[in-house]
Amino acid sequence: MKFKQLGIFSKASVIWLGIVMFMVVFGQWIPLPKPTNFDIDAMGVGLFDSLKHPLGTDSNGYDLLSNVIRGARPSMLISLISVGIGGLIGSTLGIISAYKRGKLDYIVNTLFNIVLSVPALVLGLALVAVLATNPDPNIEVPTSRRVIVIILSLTIVIIPILGRIARGATLSWSNREFVVAARSMGMKDSQIIMKHIVPNVLPAIYAVAFLAIGVVIVVEGSLSLLGVGIVDGVSWGSMIARVRGDLEYAPHSMIVPVVVLALTVIACNQLGDILRSQLDSREGRL
Amino acid sequence: MGLDRTVKSTEPLKRLAQLLLVVLGSTFLVSLLIRLLPVGLEDIYVVNPDPAGRAREIHNLGLDLNPFAFYLRWLNGFIHGDFGSYVYPGPTFVPVSQYITRTLPVTLQLIFYVQIVALTISIPLGLLSAYKVGTRIDRFISNGLFIFSSIPSFVLALILAFYIGVKLGWVPPLGYAQPFCSAEDIVRANACGFREHFKMMVLPVVALAVPLIASYTRLLRTDVIATLREDFVTMAASKGLSNRRILWTHVFRPSSVTLFTSAALNMGGLIGGALVIETIFSVPGIGFEIALAIASRQYFALQAYIAIIAFGYVFFNVIVDLTIGRIDPRSRERRQ
Repeated sequence: MKFKQLGIFSKASVIWLGIVMFMVVFGQWIPLPKPTNFDIDAMGVGLFDSLKHPLGTDSNGYDLLSNVIRGARPSMLISLISVGIGGLIGSTLGIISAYKRGKLDYIVNTLFNIVLSVPALVLGLALVAVLATNPDPNIEVPTSRRVIVIILSLTIVIIPILGRIARGATLSWSNREFVVAARSMGMKDSQIIMKHIVPNVLPAIYAVAFLAIGVVIVVEGSLSLLGVGIVDGVSWGSMIARVRGDLEYAPHSMIVPVVVLALTVIACNQLGDILRSQLDSREGRL
Repeated sequence: MGLDRTVKSTEPLKRLAQLLLVVLGSTFLVSLLIRLLPVGLEDIYVVNPDPAGRAREIHNLGLDLNPFAFYLRWLNGFIHGDFGSYVYPGPTFVPVSQYITRTLPVTLQLIFYVQIVALTISIPLGLLSAYKVGTRIDRFISNGLFIFSSIPSFVLALILAFYIGVKLGWVPPLGYAQPFCSAEDIVRANACGFREHFKMMVLPVVALAVPLIASYTRLLRTDVIATLREDFVTMAASKGLSNRRILWTHVFRPSSVTLFTSAALNMGGLIGGALVIETIFSVPGIGFEIALAIASRQYFALQAYIAIIAFGYVFFNVIVDLTIGRIDPRSRERRQ
């Protein structure tokens, strides 16, 4: 699908995600006030009120634009990495178990169901709380360890979501004529999977992976809001958590990260949706 | 024929066995997880300086057992109605069941309202947009709902709490009121009664229902579009029935299977999934209690809550399996 053929919504989504990725990669070189500096002369500057702080400042005087740009990196990297690794593990498990069927399939499917039986947020919360604890509750867990634990937990959350999609798609493809033909010609199972199954299953996984990125961004934000995620306003979610109490005095300081986060989730959902509807029409033609 | 019958009779049993495995598996994993803490549970809960007393306390908590024996001990208690305890230094034990009897009804009320609101709004919308498929109305409904469904519910909750609760002051931004006033409520002048109850519930219900409305409408729309192509719809139309009557009596029921399946499965998911919303609005439900238990390191309590959530998931799965055939008799044949 070419960019030109996309609807206006999808075009906007692609452009927005492009801007976000630009912030992720080049964010720290954009000449703006440092996100950690608080400007005592400009506390609670409104949206578009000053040239120095285009999106205003929160009631501590932190520049919102540079904070949003800095927040892009942890928020996006956490979701991209956990969806990437989780998707890889999940789809490998799903494809192999659905192809082999029998006992292996039963075991893998039961494992997926076990993880799915606990809501993503509760599971993430429990894992983060358990893995990121210190013997002494008064000592702060370092941010780097927190980030690793969050990525690990979200990966575990993602594995069954994408694994199930891969399993379902493989089940429907592995009985098609060309697979049966390849098998009867004596092609090895590993070759059949790589040549015939994976290329057909991948589009379904891509479509759901986009939706999964949206889910992970939201869960990460919720974790921050509950105080077990990333602290000190480093990610979008924790920016929202930090200014929660200031909503009355400087509402725009929450509106800015909320809008950025929501736009990113909307863009991911839109692209996932487009991919999925394309997929449906392709399947329909078969 | 004989073979068919055996397949039919073992299928639900197999399904039940798998669901049972899911509960056992998830509770075992949680039990393993809390034993694998970077900090030993005995260092959190046991503060007795006397070695003999310390050993006794550790034994009482079952922490001297290996993880498998520890799990079996917990499972035995759980089956017999002992959900474990909050452990405070001393040692003082407060049974989790006390908390559950207080918080679970609140969460169930919340979920019930959410489902009612979501279904009453999404069923007419889904039917309308499927009936008008491809028109401006359909596109308006679909796109509008899409954007609403993409707004994370905690974002929606914060915005609602601020603008409706604080700025406009129409309803209290946080808290909870019992629908029936107990003697204690009256003595302490707590907010209670139906009026207060619904006022307090409005915002959390809206925040949770909006994303559901979008997904339900979409599910129903897809299925109704498919049903409208069926012969019996053409038949009903040619008999001269009104469109409204066809939609509601002939089309809705066979199209609603996916919708009700998804609604039932969401019930299980919402038991713990309403956690953030419950925390934001201070609704004392099970999700709020989970967040508190985690913050105060009550891992035995966490274990009990997650077991209840897993049971809820399995319970609603079984309900779905049992009722689907009743809603759409065709699916009974299709499944064999």
